[in-house]
Amino acid sequence: MRRNLTAYGFLCAALFCFTVFAWYPMVREFILSFQKTDLINPPTWVGLDNFKAAVQDPAFGEAWLNTVEFTVLALLCGYAVPFVVALVLNELRHARAYLRFVVYLPVMLPPIVAVLLFQWFYDPGPGLFNQILGFFHLPPLAWLDSSSTALISLVLVSTWMNMGSATLIYLAALQNIPPELYEAAELDGAGILKRVRHVTIPQTRLILLLMLMLQIVATMQVFIEPYMLTGGGPENATVSVAYLMYQFAFSQMNYGQAGALGMLLMLALLLFAAIQLRATREDRA
Amino acid sequence: MRRSTGLLLVSVIGVSATACGSSEAPSSSAPNSVTITVACQPAKSAPKERQAWDADVAEFMKAHPGVTVKSTDQQPCFDPKTFGPKLAGGQMETVFVVPVTNYNDVIAQGQALDVTPYTSTIKNWNDLRPDVRELVTKDGKVYGVPNVHYSVGLVYNRALFTKAGLDPDTPPKTWAEVREAAKKITALGPGFVGYGEYSGGNTGGWHFTQAIYGRGGAILTPDNKKAAFNSPEGKAVLQNLHDMRWTDNSMGSKLLVGWESLMMAMGSGKVGMMLGAPDVVTDVVNKFKGNVADYGITGFPEAKASLSGGEAYMINPKATPEQAKAGMAWIDFRFNTVGKGRFDFARGKAIGNPVGVPDNDVYGDSATGKALQAERVKNASLPVTNYEPYVQAAVTVPPKAEPVHAQELYAILDVVMSGVLSRKDASIDELLADAETKANTMLAAKG
Amino acid sequence: MISREKVGTAYRDRAASRSEAMGKGARIPIKRVRRRRPKPIHVQFRTIVSPHQLNSPWGRRIYWLVLAAVIVLFTLAFVFPFYWMITGALKTPEEIAEMPPSLVPADPSPAAFFEAWDLFDIGTLLANTAYYAFGAWLFSMVVDVAAAYALSKLRPMFGNVILGAMLATLMIPPMVILIPLYVTIVDLGLLNNPWGLWFPAAANGFNIFLLKRFFDSIPRELVEAAQIDGAGPFRVLWSVVLPVSRPILGVVSIFTIVASFKDFVLPLLVMTDSEKMTISVGLSQTAGAVTQNQVMGGLVIAGIPMIIVFFIFQRHIMAGLTAGSIKG
Repeated sequence: MRRNLTAYGFLCAALFCFTVFAWYPMVREFILSFQKTDLINPPTWVGLDNFKAAVQDPAFGEAWLNTVEFTVLALLCGYAVPFVVALVLNELRHARAYLRFVVYLPVMLPPIVAVLLFQWFYDPGPGLFNQILGFFHLPPLAWLDSSSTALISLVLVSTWMNMGSATLIYLAALQNIPPELYEAAELDGAGILKRVRHVTIPQTRLILLLMLMLQIVATMQVFIEPYMLTGGGPENATVSVAYLMYQFAFSQMNYGQAGALGMLLMLALLLFAAIQLRATREDRA
Repeated sequence: MRRSTGLLLVSVIGVSATACGSSEAPSSSAPNSVTITVACQPAKSAPKERQAWDADVAEFMKAHPGVTVKSTDQQPCFDPKTFGPKLAGGQMETVFVVPVTNYNDVIAQGQALDVTPYTSTIKNWNDLRPDVRELVTKDGKVYGVPNVHYSVGLVYNRALFTKAGLDPDTPPKTWAEVREAAKKITALGPGFVGYGEYSGGNTGGWHFTQAIYGRGGAILTPDNKKAAFNSPEGKAVLQNLHDMRWTDNSMGSKLLVGWESLMMAMGSGKVGMMLGAPDVVTDVVNKFKGNVADYGITGFPEAKASLSGGEAYMINPKATPEQAKAGMAWIDFRFNTVGKGRFDFARGKAIGNPVGVPDNDVYGDSATGKALQAERVKNASLPVTNYEPYVQAAVTVPPKAEPVHAQELYAILDVVMSGVLSRKDASIDELLADAETKANTMLAAKG
Repeated sequence: MISREKVGTAYRDRAASRSEAMGKGARIPIKRVRRRRPKPIHVQFRTIVSPHQLNSPWGRRIYWLVLAAVIVLFTLAFVFPFYWMITGALKTPEEIAEMPPSLVPADPSPAAFFEAWDLFDIGTLLANTAYYAFGAWLFSMVVDVAAAYALSKLRPMFGNVILGAMLATLMIPPMVILIPLYVTIVDLGLLNNPWGLWFPAAANGFNIFLLKRFFDSIPRELVEAAQIDGAGPFRVLWSVVLPVSRPILGVVSIFTIVASFKDFVLPLLVMTDSEKMTISVGLSQTAGAVTQNQVMGGLVIAGIPMIIVFFIFQRHIMAGLTAGSIKG
């Protein structure tokens, strides 16, 4: 009993923080999504109106498509690339400290720095990228200014500033693979690609699955890139669900509708997490 | 009702959170002392403007003993993102600004104080344009002091006109002339843009509205129930932009998203023309380091109507009567006194403001308006003739108000603008038809 | 051929022993002694390519080629942008807009840094950001360490339920509950108040998870010995648990500080006063109104603090990533 009291004494601050700033907001989101509120006048219950309005918003469909597309592209760039990079880095015997340091450098930057830096690189005129293309006598690209390239341009920034952590995590996982396995594989006559397929990938499977989930959850929330670089345009090509939610709340002052969209995003992510969990479990069984 | 939960949580936090800053000082501390916070202090990036403001604050406080004025310099000074939350969280300034787009929402939602009893504090109240005063009046009650009023014209860079062999004193009057001038300016070399236009961040839709109004079109049907922009006028706006962007190549290759982007480009002196009210000239010079003598403004090409814009000062609904009175006195002093505050044109000239720009028609041709105009001309820092074409045109062109649900409509129209400016093969009919469907759905949903 | 079965089993065992090693805590396996010798290519641990293959004549050629390519590529991809940012800031507004751009500033001048410092008011912004980061660190360390200690060593009733509920918040990404969190902060009147950032920062399930797992690995005897000596729970925490937990405290500290420094959305909404903004928010608000070289100057200055942190705490950060990698 006494021990319980002491323990809860130690816990109370954390309980307070979690209750008010983590658990309650989840409940609040649910409540909010059924209310109309401008934060000043008393809220009114509006049933499913917020959900209806959110779904009927002109950008709703595009936002989900863009978010999924962004996630898929980010997985190609931000998931596969770091793994390959980590594989190569793990084979190198020189300059490892330098390479590890350098790849992680952008991760330390505040995202706004990376985003504004790339905004300049993407400038269609004197921007670095088009100048490089020009140097090789290639036609300039519109980057952020065309609906066909804007999204991939955002993925590029996002990958640049985030891939360091994934790379280093993979690298750590690779270093934990027991060398005997490679030796055994080699004795069995497996070539390099086969060794990757039959030793490396199975050995890092858990990490790979975990990172897949983390990455998807992270990219589903993409916000700062469209917020700073494109304003969701051109032609809504870069409106993400998170960005649309922000617009509902802070451009249209419709917190209830934003809450409804947040609920939908939460449901989508939970659904995804459930599928993922099941897949992992089946995998283990 | 959720409010009570919030309060409960506050009491749980207890001591740790009571430190939270409320901008309203307790007015009970001394009978005659009152503290007000006022929005719109110029940013640190405009040091001279800021200094002038600070001097005004000092002068005002000297003239009104017991009143303490604290300024906030949030940019932009009306930010829809923080407006509601600031009010709800007790962070709203006593005196804040609201653009004409948001008058209806703010007043309808009880977010501004009824200042009818205090209008006499504004000494020139009756000289303010009646139609502009009407905009801040609802059911016979007044909710604000109109501060700025203007209609849209064509802002152009006189220096570039000269450089390109055009006559800056005979700016384009038709869209065909605009196209020709844009071509010549673009031909000055890489980096030069003949005609700048927005395509995102709700500014694209806003400028589309300016353009379609100018051609005599409309955004909504008169009953505000249906979209009306899928019209010959709307098509003409887009076709013209499409031709300038892709046939003439006179609009640069960069999409401009958000208000600052085009202003920055204009300020850099490499953009020839843009749609804008005279306040664009003021802002380009004051905030974006444009050279004051370079900018001129003329009437909207082939104008049939003009989108009117402006802003008003309003008072925090939670202000005490003393604060409201002091706030109105501040508004009167700084913004509505000939020869003082922002109408101190002599000082404006001294610190390099583009004095002479007819950037505010809030007093119309009343006695105060005429006095202001005389002061403005007397202290003009540049040839007032630079703006004469605009002034003449403004008299004949009828003003037209923004559509209801402006922000939502602008977001939809952004897509149209960015489509035309980013895709050579964009189908104007399709873009407009799509936007029309979206707008109608939105209007139906909003009722 | 190796059978997948075999590998799978070996892997599971390995994973189990690894996570156990992690659990034992005190030594997070990052420190690997590396020795470099130019030729032959020295291999101190076996990877996919065998040492034999590597040191064959072709293997060596390919190795050096790949190494050179990787170094060049990495330098271009991750160092050159920094170079471009810094030199951009050293150029004049005219030179930075030149086409084609100059690789080296014609007349490097640090003026843009000073202009950016004034225009963005970076002094205030940095001070604010540092203050918020420090406060977030201090507050979440106190809160999270206390909570983890209670859950690990004092084991109250429903402790596991509480831990579960805390970990469940990790499943909900912050963006999803941004709006209700913000509304809650508004209700509490915590706008423009650092506590509006510090409270949410302390509600960090991952910190508690890492700390608790580490505390779990501290031998019971150690705690019991102290208790026999008459130490109360606070004393046990202070004199027994904390001293042996330095590595994990370091990791959690750095990640809390870095996360707080990098945070954008919540400070964007909570700290709206220009006097109270963080560096990220301040840059985002003013970047549109200043020249490109000034923007670059601002970015360089804003990037420096975390780069310095990285230089100093590189080892801890890498260790933290490994600790993070076995999350879940």
